[in-house]
Amino acid sequence: MVEADQLTKTYPDLQVGKFVALDHVSFSVGEGEIFGLLGPNGAGKTTALRILSTVLQPTEGSARVNGFDVVTHPDEVRHSIGFVSNNTAIYERMTAWEMVEYFGRLYGLAPDHLEARMHEVFEQLQMMDIRDVAGGRMSTGMQQKVNIARAIVHDPPVLVFDEASIGLDVLVARALLDIISGLRDEGKCIIFSTHIMREVERLCDRVGILHRGKMLAYGTLSELAEQRGEDDFEELFFRLLKESDQNEVAEISSDRKSAVTTVSLWGKP
Amino acid sequence: MNWKHVQLIFQREMTDQLRDRRTLFTITVLPLLLYPFLGMLMMQVAQFKNDSSVRVQVVGLEHWPSDQPLLDAEGDLVVEPGMERVAKLIDFESIPWNTNLNPLAADREAGDDDISAVESRARNAVTLDQADLVLIVQPDFSQRLKERLRGSVGESDSPAAGASDVAAAQSAELDDGLQVVANLARDRSQIARKRLETVLESWQRNWASSYLEEAGVSPGVFRPLALNATDLAPASVKRAMLWSKVLPFVMLIWALTGAFYPAIDLCAGEKERGTLETLLSSPARRREIVWGKLGAICLFSIGSALLNLLSMHLTAGMIVKQLASQGTPQLAEALGPMPFHALGWLVLLLLPMAAFFSALALAVAALARSTKEGQYYLMPLLLVTLPLVALPLMPSLELNLGTSLVPVSGAIFLVRSLIEGRYIEALVHLPVVLLVTATCCWFSVRWAIRQFESESVMFRESGRWNIRIWVHHLWRDREDTASPAEAVLCGVIIIVSMFFAQFLAGSSIDSWAAIAKSTFVVQVGLILTPCLLMAIFLTRSFTRALRLHKPQPSHLVAAIMLGLCMHPSYMLLSSGIQQVYQIGEETQLVLQHFQSMVTAQPLWAVLLLMAVLPAICEELAFRGFIFGGLLRQHGVLRAIIISALFFGFTHTVLQQSISASVMGLVLGFIAWRTGGVICTMLVHAINNALSLSMAWFGANSVDLPVALDWALTHQDGAYVYNPTWTTASMVLSIGLLFIISRRSSETRRFAQTELA
Repeated sequence: MVEADQLTKTYPDLQVGKFVALDHVSFSVGEGEIFGLLGPNGAGKTTALRILSTVLQPTEGSARVNGFDVVTHPDEVRHSIGFVSNNTAIYERMTAWEMVEYFGRLYGLAPDHLEARMHEVFEQLQMMDIRDVAGGRMSTGMQQKVNIARAIVHDPPVLVFDEASIGLDVLVARALLDIISGLRDEGKCIIFSTHIMREVERLCDRVGILHRGKMLAYGTLSELAEQRGEDDFEELFFRLLKESDQNEVAEISSDRKSAVTTVSLWGKP
Repeated sequence: MNWKHVQLIFQREMTDQLRDRRTLFTITVLPLLLYPFLGMLMMQVAQFKNDSSVRVQVVGLEHWPSDQPLLDAEGDLVVEPGMERVAKLIDFESIPWNTNLNPLAADREAGDDDISAVESRARNAVTLDQADLVLIVQPDFSQRLKERLRGSVGESDSPAAGASDVAAAQSAELDDGLQVVANLARDRSQIARKRLETVLESWQRNWASSYLEEAGVSPGVFRPLALNATDLAPASVKRAMLWSKVLPFVMLIWALTGAFYPAIDLCAGEKERGTLETLLSSPARRREIVWGKLGAICLFSIGSALLNLLSMHLTAGMIVKQLASQGTPQLAEALGPMPFHALGWLVLLLLPMAAFFSALALAVAALARSTKEGQYYLMPLLLVTLPLVALPLMPSLELNLGTSLVPVSGAIFLVRSLIEGRYIEALVHLPVVLLVTATCCWFSVRWAIRQFESESVMFRESGRWNIRIWVHHLWRDREDTASPAEAVLCGVIIIVSMFFAQFLAGSSIDSWAAIAKSTFVVQVGLILTPCLLMAIFLTRSFTRALRLHKPQPSHLVAAIMLGLCMHPSYMLLSSGIQQVYQIGEETQLVLQHFQSMVTAQPLWAVLLLMAVLPAICEELAFRGFIFGGLLRQHGVLRAIIISALFFGFTHTVLQQSISASVMGLVLGFIAWRTGGVICTMLVHAINNALSLSMAWFGANSVDLPVALDWALTHQDGAYVYNPTWTTASMVLSIGLLFIISRRSSETRRFAQTELA
């Protein structure tokens, strides 16, 4: 359902020249599966998910969503995906109903179908009591529910949740995970990015661990535990990150040494 | 383009803005309240200013001529009929020369009836705010006036001579015995002086008339001529002229302001609140989002301007009525009411201008990361657009081909003509104004769409800026050609340095040596050096940065022929521009002097300095470094237009700048299709060489071979092209440009690398 192949994204950067936000990352997610994209802040999770939702374009590599290429067929991709991020907010001066209706119409749903679908979604997410509340008057949890309703109103086969539980209290976060779990049961392909281990353990069928734009590990939780000989997923996560950092330091110092060698060789022809 | 998306976004933005109390207040409530409030304030202030009396002390009124008193028996000022209102607004206080009155009594001493003592007391009175003005009538005022007049009349033999003496006495009377003491830094003193002068002028006229009558001369001798003017302009048209200047200015300023605030909220505000990313991930494409938002912004801009106009219209009507009832019917007649048909024409002007301003505001607002940052962009936007809106306010500027070509101003001039009823003139210039306005709108909308399509604009993150890191970045991350920003910087450096060099040079260029020196300094020092230095330090490949790409042979041949064939068109264009924008006499004299100095030199030297050198330096800078930088990221149109504008700006005379800019567009096209500057150097050098040679041959009366008679004619000491050759050369030029536009596969591949 979702395939990312050698996805790379670089940005011009004043400090380092070219900042590699995503470095040849590959993964795939199937129907009725929740794929957890895990990593600390700045790992490249949001960049990867923005590329999948066609908000950004990859510098290299390709990605397909529901069989459509994100660069060549962005319109089809957008119709196939629902994108919820901690960066995507709701309109303060629109009610929950108006907002979901607006996006439903943008997705091209026929008025009758849209009405029925909205009732279905509002009931599913238990939002009927807030349907006429303006976005500016809602709590964070309510806002996130509206955001999810907005993302699923057109019943997309793929759903992307980018750190969607950030800022939510325990109860609302739990409700959110239940909703996502329910959506998986409906056969949706879900990509769920987070840096909270417990959410991953509870929800994800497979995970990919991203750090500094690189995919450090990829597989089911049990596969990863077996490969690394570590049952505690949180420990495994920290070990991977530590190893990656140590490797990088070693690479840099080796580069410096070779540079020094080159200079001395030039000095002694 | 899915117009349903556009409509949905437009509707949502409209609903959203209409629910925002701040926007509603700024756009709708404020204009409706502002003008009535300002009008009321103005009327009250004016009333207060007009109705409050000023205090004038007159010291020594007893010295005033008794046969022509200043005050009547009741102590009121004696003035001509119609001046009573002014007279009533002066509180006269007469202080006899020798009477003890405060503050004169305070330091009164024996024998202090001399002028300096009185003057010192008058100063005190003004300083202590006991009077706004003191008029001192000296003891011998009356006597001196009479003696002088009597002497003058006695000496003269004819009534006419007597009259001239009366006039002389009249002009000197204030110096002969009257003195005014006032503090003119204060408004009240200034008003007092004006009113006093009005009253004294009235007295003067009465006084002069009585003496002239005594001498048997008619007082009408002072006004031997009376012009009976027949004004064909109806009062409504005259009123229209006044309003046609003020209204477009006010309306367009509000249109810009009305566009800017919603643009900030719908763009930077949405970025800040995170709702923009929600929309960007929806099925709506970027251009659909821009059109939807643009529609809403445009409607707010129009609404804001119209409400201001309406409010101003109503307020002006009320003020005019008030003025008429307050006894100033002339002013009321001159002002209004505001002609209603003017409003219709203004609405017509408003529609394209609102679209233009809205697109500009949206593009600028897209740059901002937050509403606060967006506010900072209002001032630069105003600074760019204000001169265009204010230009039509300048006196003696009217609608013509020249002004109709100026964006915004041209449209205002057109509407002014329509308001003033000059329909034929407006109709003639309508196509040009429409074309310019449509082009501006197209470019601004295109810019806004590009802003929304740019990831670096939409997802710009704030980072700490450090000069050391930035300089390091410039060196470390340099590429084969300049970046667009570096290209623009190079152009700006050239223009600014030339601007200052022009001031430094002043008018010292009065010899061939000075011309040679200044041309060399400008071309090598100010145009070539910045681009060479930037190419060395900011790019990795010197030859790529300066676009020293070897052209294909067919392009070389076509370029040489194009240089020869395009020159008649260039000359035609230059003379056409000079007819539209006439060169001032002074500039013409300077240019003639310059040409006479140049044509007195050997032709080879002139061509080397003024044809070959500029062709090399200017092409390397404008079609080389600057063009190459702007070409990146698929900016072909951007490179052609901006490099042409920079090229035009380096020519100091406006008319030359315009023709050079047009020429720059053609050279830009050649530079793009040939992939380098060699061909443009040839075209440029040949074009300059032909202009200089024709002037040189004409000035030195050199007969050209008979074989060239089919192309050139000698007229009034100059060579000009035959119309037949001019027409034929135009056709040939188009054909040659077509040849140049055809590229070999190698040139095409190279062009692709330049666009990356």
